[in-house]
Amino acid sequence: MEEIVFTPTDFVAVFNQTLELAYPVVAIEGELANFRVSRNRWVYFDIKDELASVKFFGSTYLLPGPLEDGLKLRVVGSPRLHPQFGFSITFQSIQPVGEGAIKKAADLVRAKLETEGLFAPQRKRPLPEIPRRVGLITAAASAACADFIKILNERWGGVEILLADVLVQGAEAPAAIVTAVEYFEQINPLADVLVITRGGGSAEDLAAFNDERVVRAVAASRTPTLVAIGHEIDISLAELAADMRASTPTNAAQIVVPDRRHIITQHGNVQSGLQKFLLDTMSTIQINSAGNQKYLTGQVFSIFDNAKRDAAAMRKLVGVFDPRAALKRGYAIVSKGREHVRSVGQVTKGDGLNIELADGKINAIAE
Amino acid sequence: MAESKRDYQAMNAELAEIIDWFESDKVNLDEAIEKYEQALALIAEIEKYLKTAENKIKKINTKFGV
Repeated sequence: MEEIVFTPTDFVAVFNQTLELAYPVVAIEGELANFRVSRNRWVYFDIKDELASVKFFGSTYLLPGPLEDGLKLRVVGSPRLHPQFGFSITFQSIQPVGEGAIKKAADLVRAKLETEGLFAPQRKRPLPEIPRRVGLITAAASAACADFIKILNERWGGVEILLADVLVQGAEAPAAIVTAVEYFEQINPLADVLVITRGGGSAEDLAAFNDERVVRAVAASRTPTLVAIGHEIDISLAELAADMRASTPTNAAQIVVPDRRHIITQHGNVQSGLQKFLLDTMSTIQINSAGNQKYLTGQVFSIFDNAKRDAAAMRKLVGVFDPRAALKRGYAIVSKGREHVRSVGQVTKGDGLNIELADGKINAIAE
Repeated sequence: MAESKRDYQAMNAELAEIIDWFESDKVNLDEAIEKYEQALALIAEIEKYLKTAENKIKKINTKFGV
């Protein structure tokens, strides 16, 4: 059999072709060693176990956050023989694996971003009282998405929901979430609020929400953000960077819109609740003679004034401000010229007064 | 009644304005009756809106990620 003789250039080309066929993408799990960043752009490191060590190379842009030697990582990439620098794997994604490494990696991101002030309370913006357009970033087929929309529909109407369907776990999730947040940065008009949500899961499932790129995107969003990850133990960093956090997708919908039933009930109470209050108060006042009219008018206005002072009840007050309702119950409204008479001090002997009753007006002169 | 063309925010702002008016010292009888009727009509319109308005879901036709 004839020996094939290559030039180095040809060998590298053929070898790479073979590699691409056999191992286009590999995932390798092991311990991080010799991690270094060059000119803030390029990253070099090894992944090793007891017996072997493999070299990796790639862009800082693809890092999940700050890393430290000794972390256990799963790295996905394409093996390649470089014409000058030899063999390495060009990585596409890096994920900490195992609870210890995930926590350690999150702590590193947290410490870094905390010093930058990304989680500072003074950065938090209020969410709109009632949004017209909601940007929703979640997995469209998930229970989290269904829950959020179900509760939103139950509580409120007239909202336009722009749904960005993304992966919420796994190696590709961070990039997907980041591009979705960036998508909402450039729509016109902007959404009123951005909701990023998923249900609970293991530390590994939720790791995307501790990814530095995701946390930064949330913090940088021009649209106010609400992040809701269904879990109970640790709060993710994306939630800390958001303007508001919610415990579950359902809770997120409750925060985003008010409950229409509550407002309808409030309106329904207008007549029954406060008119009853006024009637109860008035029933203690005796209505007997025309001589009492000035006194009674004063009472009616003082009741109105007391009620007006009750700021909390203001919304409900519309119902009791119907002056005709009072007139029908036998009260009168006394005016002098264009002014309502609210106090005896406004009237002097001989003043012309106008007394309005339910069925007409009487002109009178004060004695 | 046809579906309201105005949104909740606009109607609610109008109602708040009427309530503010009642809170002010400008209250006079003729106007009070008019404003009261406006308020009741608004409340009815808001409730109609709240009971009938539906949310629209628009899935964005973009593939997110790398």
